[in-house]
Amino acid sequence: MSEVLVKLENVHKEFVLSHSGASSIKTLLLWWKRRSKEKLNALNGISFEVKRGESVALIGRNGAGKSTTLSLISRIYKATSGTVTVNGRLAPLLELGAGFHPDLTGLDNVLFNGMIMGLTRKQVTERLPQIIAFAELDKHIDAPVRTYSSGMLARLGFAVAVHVDADVLIVDEVLAVGDFTFEKKCYDFIDQFRKQGGTILFVSHNAESVKRVADRCVWLKGGLVHMDGDPESVLASYQADAAAPNEGL
Amino acid sequence: MRDDLKELWRFRELLGAMVERELRIRYKNSVLGILWSLLNPLVTVAVMNFVLKNVMQNDTQSFSAYILAAYLPFMFFQLAVLDSSQSVLAALPVVKKVYFPREILPLASVISNGVHFLIALVVYFVFIFVVWASTGFGTPPVTYKLWFLPVLLLIHFSLATGLSLFFSALNVFYEDVKYALTIVLYLAFFLTPVMYFAETVYYATRKYGAMADLLYTVFMSNPVATICTAYRKVLVAPGKIQVLINGHAEQIQPRPLDWTLFGLAAVLSFVVLIGGYAFFNRMKWKFVERP
Repeated sequence: MSEVLVKLENVHKEFVLSHSGASSIKTLLLWWKRRSKEKLNALNGISFEVKRGESVALIGRNGAGKSTTLSLISRIYKATSGTVTVNGRLAPLLELGAGFHPDLTGLDNVLFNGMIMGLTRKQVTERLPQIIAFAELDKHIDAPVRTYSSGMLARLGFAVAVHVDADVLIVDEVLAVGDFTFEKKCYDFIDQFRKQGGTILFVSHNAESVKRVADRCVWLKGGLVHMDGDPESVLASYQADAAAPNEGL
Repeated sequence: MRDDLKELWRFRELLGAMVERELRIRYKNSVLGILWSLLNPLVTVAVMNFVLKNVMQNDTQSFSAYILAAYLPFMFFQLAVLDSSQSVLAALPVVKKVYFPREILPLASVISNGVHFLIALVVYFVFIFVVWASTGFGTPPVTYKLWFLPVLLLIHFSLATGLSLFFSALNVFYEDVKYALTIVLYLAFFLTPVMYFAETVYYATRKYGAMADLLYTVFMSNPVATICTAYRKVLVAPGKIQVLINGHAEQIQPRPLDWTLFGLAAVLSFVVLIGGYAFFNRMKWKFVERP
């Protein structure tokens, strides 16, 4: 079981910063000569691999490139240079039901969200009972999503993502939503998912959840892989580094 | 572009679901649902017909059929381009979180409006047959020319899709595109033969002597004008129409479709489709990085 599912090779990502905010045709015409072309290098040549069955935590300070890395793997960004290879299906855990349409029922939204994640209509329909049970929504599933509480939205979003039979689960700090019982359910699911050989890639600032879920930890610093190893030692150096007073980035 | 199309084909089920979703949202929140959105063009055309016949005193036979045959295609074009220009921007929160071919968003807007247009066409046929029956089964309201409808639809959809892809991508970066578009499409309505005929334009340009044909060609080089005129030729059985010739109202037989102009519109539509898709593909990775 050492098939490589995610592979990043010398990945660079550069963003063009704009100071003018959202632009308009007017600003384009007026300021076309003076458009600021300031660049921000979010990633400066990252390389790492995630093998099947691994659970990898990405840690690092704000702006270190964690979310950018996840977005590159999820094919939301295109790398400026370098290659990102993904074998298998990814399931990103969406924030509070991003992608849900407020006027449609929970059921319609589940169908739609499942298909966005690459399932066929038939596959989503087959999984519907499990998804509804997992989200603990029972009869609310036929109500428009706009009537849902944020906890219900989070549960439904999570329920869809965990039922797409993903090879790799992408988690960007969304486990903190929902009440205690649901949080426990999520962790239970993650444990079970790992037992079945599932692969997880997640970003967290919470040392406890890193220790709990991850069996490998990648520390990003200044857009580079600073340290890569077992969670205990990486977290220890990370915390020592964070405590150090004279720290640049 | 081939890879993009392959990827789009892989996600065809999602496109279908999104079209279904748009249609559902459109028809869900009103009691009358689909009826309501079909009533709108019918009432509009009834008012136009009233004004043109009784106020402007145009005595064209089956004028309402002529207006509908151009108004419905124009409405489809307008709604498709306007709706889809907003589609990517509105879905940006999802676009930032999940990968799927981004062109699905404007395409879903165009297709759902297209489905609505096809339903409206069915209503149009019901309308003309009811009129035909109620006026004692005179000349049949449809002709053999109807075979050309699919070709016409293809060209029309290509133009609408191409522009939708282009503007939906542009609107992500320049939010006032939508406002400019609203005004341009509003003005385009008056420059498109809906409330008058292409023949009206033809005879109006005659007084310019040597420039006459050039002016007419310029006016009709707007592909929407030519496409809407073509819909009339295909959908309405030719009866006499009333136009102004040298300041006098005269009943004439409609002129046949100008195939050169139509060919131009067809070529332009396909160029717009390919160009629009190429532009969209160039921009689509930058959507999430929008300032």
